[in-house]
Amino acid sequence: MARKILCVAEKPAIARAVATHLSGGSFQTHSIRGNQYVKNYEFNFNFGGAWGDCAVTVTSVVGHLTGLDFDRQYKGWQSCPPGSLFEAPVLEAVDKVSKCQQLSRSSADARNKDKLPIAENIRNQAKYAKALFIWTDCDREGEHIGSEVRNQAKAGNGRIEVKRAKFSNTERAHVRQAALAPIDLDEYQANAVAARIELDLRIGAAFTRLQTLQLQTVVAALKEKVISYGSCQFPTLGFVVDRYLRVKNFKPENFWGLKVIVNREGKKVNFLWKRVHLFDRAVVTMMLERCLVAKQAKVTKVDQKPKSKWRPLPLTTVDLQMMGSRFLRIDSQTIMKVAETLYTKGYISYPRTETDQFDKAIDLKKLVEKQYPDSSWGQYARELIDGKFKTPRWGRHNDKAHPPIHPVSWVSPSSLNANEKKVYEFVVRRFLACCSDDAEGQSSEVEIKYGDEFFHANGLIVLERNYLDVYVYDKWESSQQLPNFERDESFEPTEANIFEGKTTAPSYLTEPELIGLMDANGIGTDATMAEHIAKIKEREYVAVNTRGSGRSSVSELIPTRLGIALVEGYDNVVAGLPNSVSLSKPFLRKEMELRMLEICSGNKTRQEVVQQSLDMYREVFIHTQRRINMLKTACRKYLVETPES
Amino acid sequence: MASPDQIAAQILSTKSLSVSPNWLNTFLSSGLAQRNVPLSALAKTAIFRLLASDIKESLSKHRSCVLPVDVYDPMVQERCLQGSIPVQVLDIEDIGTSLWSQIEAIERVERGEAIRGREIVRTIAVDEDPEAAESNPTNNGPVAGANASGSSGSGPHRLILQDAGGTVVTGVEIQRMDGVSVEKLAIGAKLLLRNPTVARGMVLLTPGCATVLGGKIETWDTPWRQGRKARLLEKTGGLEAE
Repeated sequence: MARKILCVAEKPAIARAVATHLSGGSFQTHSIRGNQYVKNYEFNFNFGGAWGDCAVTVTSVVGHLTGLDFDRQYKGWQSCPPGSLFEAPVLEAVDKVSKCQQLSRSSADARNKDKLPIAENIRNQAKYAKALFIWTDCDREGEHIGSEVRNQAKAGNGRIEVKRAKFSNTERAHVRQAALAPIDLDEYQANAVAARIELDLRIGAAFTRLQTLQLQTVVAALKEKVISYGSCQFPTLGFVVDRYLRVKNFKPENFWGLKVIVNREGKKVNFLWKRVHLFDRAVVTMMLERCLVAKQAKVTKVDQKPKSKWRPLPLTTVDLQMMGSRFLRIDSQTIMKVAETLYTKGYISYPRTETDQFDKAIDLKKLVEKQYPDSSWGQYARELIDGKFKTPRWGRHNDKAHPPIHPVSWVSPSSLNANEKKVYEFVVRRFLACCSDDAEGQSSEVEIKYGDEFFHANGLIVLERNYLDVYVYDKWESSQQLPNFERDESFEPTEANIFEGKTTAPSYLTEPELIGLMDANGIGTDATMAEHIAKIKEREYVAVNTRGSGRSSVSELIPTRLGIALVEGYDNVVAGLPNSVSLSKPFLRKEMELRMLEICSGNKTRQEVVQQSLDMYREVFIHTQRRINMLKTACRKYLVETPES
Repeated sequence: MASPDQIAAQILSTKSLSVSPNWLNTFLSSGLAQRNVPLSALAKTAIFRLLASDIKESLSKHRSCVLPVDVYDPMVQERCLQGSIPVQVLDIEDIGTSLWSQIEAIERVERGEAIRGREIVRTIAVDEDPEAAESNPTNNGPVAGANASGSSGSGPHRLILQDAGGTVVTGVEIQRMDGVSVEKLAIGAKLLLRNPTVARGMVLLTPGCATVLGGKIETWDTPWRQGRKARLLEKTGGLEAE
């Protein structure tokens, strides 16, 4: 029997790309029974080394194969006290219907949710194979999906050897290279995901049942509603509510400041007060008087120095989502979907990455050259290669799995839809900017002492735009030129005045800000943040409000009454209890996320982490049960009684 | 054994404080002086007690070490006071920070977020460029930078000060002074003013003419801190009514 190797990718499109690159384009395609998307591609390929020339079947799964659920007797909502779900037995089984634990990873198409035919296909194919090469995406989730694939393959053929291909984009040379140098599956990472899945299931189900059953009886509006809880969703909601309350409770205050105007060389120069402004009018008035009495101001500092504006760091997922929603006006979940499509089609590298360092081994110039055909930035790319190329800045993050997001091939804009065009353009421009020089300018600062007070004026000339020419999202403009001032020179300012102002409320939270908060507080991973945000919108805990119009419009996240009620309710549940934190705060989830990392590094086992995390949440659960009236009261307050406003 | 005069002289020379003879006698009769305590140690204890005392009772009210009674007169543009004048802090406020952001800071502490050292609301800079913050020199900076959380909370501070005679005056931290902050400076803490300038009834506090001697009056400080948030809230409420 000829040696056969079975390759399994995470998505059909990746399977096709892998088959295309390894076979050189000639392969046979076989449909599988029961799923219209998954295909088996067959051809021969020389894997080199001990493997040599082999028959190959490339197929795929569609995201996760299996799901975790409670035993049948615990499935009904009334079947058991919700608290027992912390211990109830759970079973892993191949998905028959939607489990949807990883929405973005499975096609939203309902017909695709039955995973039995896919699992069967893998078992069958494994029977005739010497080895299994796993081609799932190289991240934590992919490692776990890989372990699911392995389990099916082993069920079909106990002696099959298991390897995994390490790759981060679907460009031809990269894929072929990965096929020649397979590594082992990372069990730690797969275990971390398994732990997370179990925790999400238990904690999510327990709290969801508790709060749904309890709150349904309180308010008519909630009667038919499932009030879901998720350990990422709630802190995410918490950030939105927190900001909303800050805006609502805000009280404006008056402030006063000093400004000095100097006319010189035909220019009017505004000097800014070092103290910016103060909240005491009498003090500011006294300070102004002392300036005026002093009459003469003295130049204490004249500084001329080169100033550069740094080119951006290599692109990470969080950055793509934040910048994307800021500059491209697309919400983060859509951005990720579009980026995923661009990756699957082989135009950009894997879009889920925390890395902002380009490995020395990557031939960046070659990637720049690929952009020559473009009518907008092709010329710029050429100039880079003709001598302006700079090695990108070295960021501080490396997830050891994927390079920063970058274009892997050029694609004509005419073959992309509107959103794809925007995201692709952003990724390319960002990449070219990374390979460019910083923008250079000359800044000047003059500081004066007038009375007891210091004032300063600044000027800037942009000398070399460099990366700014391609990275149209950054703005850095020359300002007014300062007239000449000499150090220690004394002069009488033309004018000195008090200005008055009022503090303004912060604005409601925007999506990029929310992503920033989630990132800083360890809520979700770069891959899942967008989903959590989409979830709280879908659950009607948060609504999106558009302020302004046209180019200057801003989408703001505003909690619904239900959203506010839940946060206030949970905050009240733990109010006054020592060492208890509300579920609306990020702390518990952050701790859980840190423990996942400990599994990944091999310092803790899956069981330890599951137990510790369950204990942590069980404590809050018990408080919640005991003080469920806090939640009920909050819901009545916001959903029944007419609010005062 | 050290005489009251010797101790008074010691306190005057080390801290420039003229202690009231009555207070000193009470202090010495409290029993400490019976034993063979050396002069310097005794003086140190006396100073410690002084800093925790109400100076209206413990320091001399001599003309040379109190404020003029009309010191707060806003009609006087500027005058320079002579000599060393000890005062005690009755109130301190950060006038570089809005009341509202001070309230929010207090609430964060109340929620335990600051105490636990887990900084919850840390908005990471959307633009990572460290120079970006100052790279857009616009000429309308102060107004643009004005939002509720815009200030660092480092003053300047406005203090209400009281001398040994009971005269009360406002002090303004016109130059940054070490030890002057809402957290660090206790109510009842003592300051020594040396030839200070008073403008429009406000004492101008600079490191050159004011020294923080420290101390605290526990019975004043505790209620002041407990009531601080309520006072701030009341003030912002007043603003809204305007």
